[in-house]
Amino acid sequence: MDRLTPSPLLLMLLADARLPTAGHTQSGQLEPATLDGLGAPDVPDLVRLRLRTVTRVEAASAVVALHHLRAGLDVAEVEAAWAARTPSAAMRATSRQMARALSRLVGRLWPTSPHLGVTGPGASRAVVLAVAADAAALAPHELALLVGYDDVQTVASAALKLLPLDPADVARWVLDALDDVAHLATQVADLTVPAAIPAAGAPQIEAWAEAHAVTTRRLFSA
Amino acid sequence: MPEKTSTRSLRVGVCGPVGTGKSSLIALVCRELAAELRLGVVTNDIYTDEDARFLRSAGVLDPDRIRSVETGACPHTAIRDDITANLLMVEDLEADFDPLDVVLVESGGDNLTATFSPALVDTQIFLIDVAGGGDVARKGGPGITRADLLVVNKTDLGPHVGVDPQAMVTDASAVRDGRPVVALSRTDPASVAQLTAWIREQLAAHRGGELTPADPGPMAPHSHADGTEHVHGTGHAHEHTHDAHDHDHAHA
Repeated sequence: MDRLTPSPLLLMLLADARLPTAGHTQSGQLEPATLDGLGAPDVPDLVRLRLRTVTRVEAASAVVALHHLRAGLDVAEVEAAWAARTPSAAMRATSRQMARALSRLVGRLWPTSPHLGVTGPGASRAVVLAVAADAAALAPHELALLVGYDDVQTVASAALKLLPLDPADVARWVLDALDDVAHLATQVADLTVPAAIPAAGAPQIEAWAEAHAVTTRRLFSA
Repeated sequence: MPEKTSTRSLRVGVCGPVGTGKSSLIALVCRELAAELRLGVVTNDIYTDEDARFLRSAGVLDPDRIRSVETGACPHTAIRDDITANLLMVEDLEADFDPLDVVLVESGGDNLTATFSPALVDTQIFLIDVAGGGDVARKGGPGITRADLLVVNKTDLGPHVGVDPQAMVTDASAVRDGRPVVALSRTDPASVAQLTAWIREQLAAHRGGELTPADPGPMAPHSHADGTEHVHGTGHAHEHTHDAHDHDHAHA
């Protein structure tokens, strides 16, 4: 990596939906939620709920994994802590599939990263995001911002496919969620030990994820 | 670009406008070649598994060898701008049924401009059909002009829709610079044999290391300031050198 590249640009690169990491296959459980009756006015609440629960778990796991990578510690403990706090098997499978997608790109963008060994089969998206963040020389706080922002945009862009909406209104939702993203990042940025990763589940989101995994007519994989 | 290994399957893309017969062509290829070649199929539907279910119900291939990719209502993205989900699915198929000879990747929801990234497939078939109108071949587009194989499908319907299939083939051939065209009807064994012969040829070229994935587009031919003209990614139009300027094409 070019050490002179300012980190805001690297953060933008990793947060860009045009990055080829299969982001377009994801709805953040919005698709099963809409099938269960969730309407357009409810989407901002779903976004905020995710930031407080499942996305907080992922962001915290990523930050702790980044610390482990940089401190030369084994990330296996972080993987176990993340999995223990992600009770939905469908959501764990989705995370690992998205990790494969991201790993493929990280290996191409940063082939000399010393941490590509932990991006193999079974790695969680949180850990592979940490590898990307390490390669891009991001700070833990920036990594947490990335996880939160990406999650908001995932749900927002899926909403445009699933519900009758004006795209400008959805951009407004994203803007309105940024304070929550910032709050999430502040909450988790200083975490270093797996035990400190919050156990913040969202049973309804987990139930939607499980239901979606066994339906046949899907637009989004999760 | 897809990594070249001796064991990796030949990845064949099948694209073309909605309703031209992509799933039927794949079912036909499976029916004709499943006894001879080890096949896998990946589908890209708007609603995930319509085509996969059609193919499974056709009974021409072990259902486990037919996988579908969810594209988030972005079927064009999934075969061109972000091929990750498809690559993972193809690799899973190749791993689960190692070794496979051919994996057929069916696109979804296409119009005339959708073509595969050469990083996803080694060679690609573009389909049009006589029922879509006799002028489609003349309209051209990257797939019609530069796909490795153009199939003019449902030729048996020609008399019923007032279209002369041979005229469509002539129109298409005129813009394809010698690339092959097959006028296909599943009820015409000679045309089916042409299609399967082409797949066997592509597989032989792939195994011999002679197959270089070519990109049909969507870029149109363009001119450079030095007067040379070329089409990006056709795989054979890049022998010229740029001495005045050195730009980096993402070649197939």
